[in-house]
Amino acid sequence: MIEVAALVAAPLFAGGLSLVVHRSALLHAINLTSMAILVTAEIMITSAVLKDGPFTALEQLVYLDALSTFILFIIGAVGLACSFYMRSYMDEQVARGIVAPTRLNMFFFLFHMFLLAMVVATIVNSVGVQWVAIEATTLATTFLIAFWRRRESLEAGWKYLILCSVGISLALFGVVLLYYSSLHALSDVGQGLNVTQLLIVADRLNPHVLKLAFIFILVGYGTKVGLVPMHSWLPDAYTEAPAPVVAMLAGVLEVVSVYAILRMRVIVDHAVSFAFTGGLLALFGFASLVTAAFFILIQHNYKRLFAYSSIEHMGIAMIGFGVGGALGTFGGLFHLLNHAFAKSMAFFAAGNIHRRFHTVEIGQVQGVATAQPWTAMALMISGLALSALPPFSSFASEVQVATALASQGVPEMWFTNTEGMVTIALSDQFGRLAVTAVFLMSAILAFGGLMYRITGMVWGTPPEGILREETWTVGHLPVILLAGALVVFSVFLPPPIRQLLEQATTLLVIQ
Amino acid sequence: MQVLSYSGSQLVDLCSALLLLTCFAIVAQRRLSACVDLFALQSAFLVVTAALVAYLTGNQHIYIAAVLTGVIKVIIIPRVLKKVIDRLNVKRELVMYVNVPAGLLICGGLVMLAFFISEPIIPLGFLLTRDSLAIALAIVLIGFFTMIARQKAVTQLVGFLVLENGLFLGATAATYGMPLIVELGVFFDVLIATLIAGIYTNRLQDAFDSVDTNRLTVLKE
Repeated sequence: MIEVAALVAAPLFAGGLSLVVHRSALLHAINLTSMAILVTAEIMITSAVLKDGPFTALEQLVYLDALSTFILFIIGAVGLACSFYMRSYMDEQVARGIVAPTRLNMFFFLFHMFLLAMVVATIVNSVGVQWVAIEATTLATTFLIAFWRRRESLEAGWKYLILCSVGISLALFGVVLLYYSSLHALSDVGQGLNVTQLLIVADRLNPHVLKLAFIFILVGYGTKVGLVPMHSWLPDAYTEAPAPVVAMLAGVLEVVSVYAILRMRVIVDHAVSFAFTGGLLALFGFASLVTAAFFILIQHNYKRLFAYSSIEHMGIAMIGFGVGGALGTFGGLFHLLNHAFAKSMAFFAAGNIHRRFHTVEIGQVQGVATAQPWTAMALMISGLALSALPPFSSFASEVQVATALASQGVPEMWFTNTEGMVTIALSDQFGRLAVTAVFLMSAILAFGGLMYRITGMVWGTPPEGILREETWTVGHLPVILLAGALVVFSVFLPPPIRQLLEQATTLLVIQ
Repeated sequence: MQVLSYSGSQLVDLCSALLLLTCFAIVAQRRLSACVDLFALQSAFLVVTAALVAYLTGNQHIYIAAVLTGVIKVIIIPRVLKKVIDRLNVKRELVMYVNVPAGLLICGGLVMLAFFISEPIIPLGFLLTRDSLAIALAIVLIGFFTMIARQKAVTQLVGFLVLENGLFLGATAATYGMPLIVELGVFFDVLIATLIAGIYTNRLQDAFDSVDTNRLTVLKE
């Protein structure tokens, strides 16, 4: 159980230490040490879960299974990459006077609290405590988003705080309803919100209450995922926040929020039906995918471009979970991983470009290949991966989702006109074809929009007065590792990750 | 015993109804500081409701939640908000997206909607607090509406807090309180959220020279 304690203690102590330390080198050292402890603990937990199956720890407070371990893996990988990137990024921000040296420790404190809240949200057994932790991520990141303290960043931060707090309050109502339904089925109500207990009695819970609870929870946590139509805070926050923070928001926070929805989904599936939750997830998925694909086409700000691409990919993952079955669920989970890697890489590149060109306008950025060859490479690779082209693993996961969609269609979705004459069910042959066509068309639109903008930035000659060389920093290391992982994962998934994914899929699919 | 639980149920209903009434008062109020006072009053009713439920059911841990509500929502949060308002140069809602009579009408509609949604699930509840779930949902919806219909950062914050009060009423009334660890966490989050929003309001005032959130239009498509 020491590894579980280390998981929570590492960011907690690192955060506390950051408050009293002021030297930049020491702050980075604390950060890297805590990340190393976190990753070590994760490796130990992974091997324990793979060997002995799910376990609870600390008097039922903590529940770890393949799904939560898989999410922990994403948190650790992206968190470590961010820590290396921050080494070069934050120091330069201080050196250029954008961030006062005295505020650096505040940045690290909030970063650690953010990490802590996400770890707690992932490992905790009670869905109530999970809600508390997810709301805590909102609170920790609000000041991180507004860290530059410009008018735009204050605006983005306020929007984020209000929208996410309200959204997540709706999720709390969902949690209350879930508890309400469990009171009649459980003898020990003190455990009434624990996933382990709820799963045992899930088929005796009241389906009507659970349906309502799931809708509230999907809308609530969906706000944090950035699903359309609750997404309006997301592009603003992603544009204004410092690059490492965005990488964490896009790479990890979205995944943790999806995880919270999935946990609830398993319980509701037992009591109601798989088709009910699947239909809702797919509905939000399609709304996000189609809307984001069109918005990608009209962007002239590269950070917003990547933000909308995040919405698109979360939509794809949601469609995967909605369609369900082994293939769809596996594809959805795998897509979460690929998107986390590709998107954090994209925002690292965006951060580098912003530091050099001092603008977020795509039209004013040209010739990145000449000015910053490494960054251009990272931008190109992340762009290709985000467009889901081979040989990147996002291609594999997107094809899995598309195949599942084509073979199963969207469950419990049908449209009837007023006289009841025409009925289109999205799971019959015609419906399957139609939804798959919509899916592929949106993916192609997004691909076109993304690659058109990115190639425009990479090629050409840089404007006058832009430095044309890129020195190697430690911040380049994570980019190379992430790119390597994206390529390698498409042909070879390391056995522990494959096993985690397969076991998590079995947890989510109900026979 | 039957008589006690009947009159107890009446009392809980009465208190919940008073909470709902203060919601309408908040929607009808234009002065920012009066809105905060009304929120404090609403929280006080919430304390009474929670204490009543705790007494009638004998659930000790609801007392803790009631005391915490009293300290945080009746004393601390209103004080913080008053301090924030003192710094502002505009003390009233000058322009509203929805005027007061229309706002009250919409809120009336929201109450009916809340009763309509929760009708099928109410019979599952405990006898004592049966109708409070619908009232709680109504308060949540009205809090939501307040956030949309007002443009001052402070009133939006009050809307959020009203919404949170509705959630708390729902948790107390429908389920006799959530597990203690969850409730403590929720209180902590609400308190921090209010403090952060208070700091934000000050920064917005400094940067935009206003807390009209409709001036926040630098970022858009």
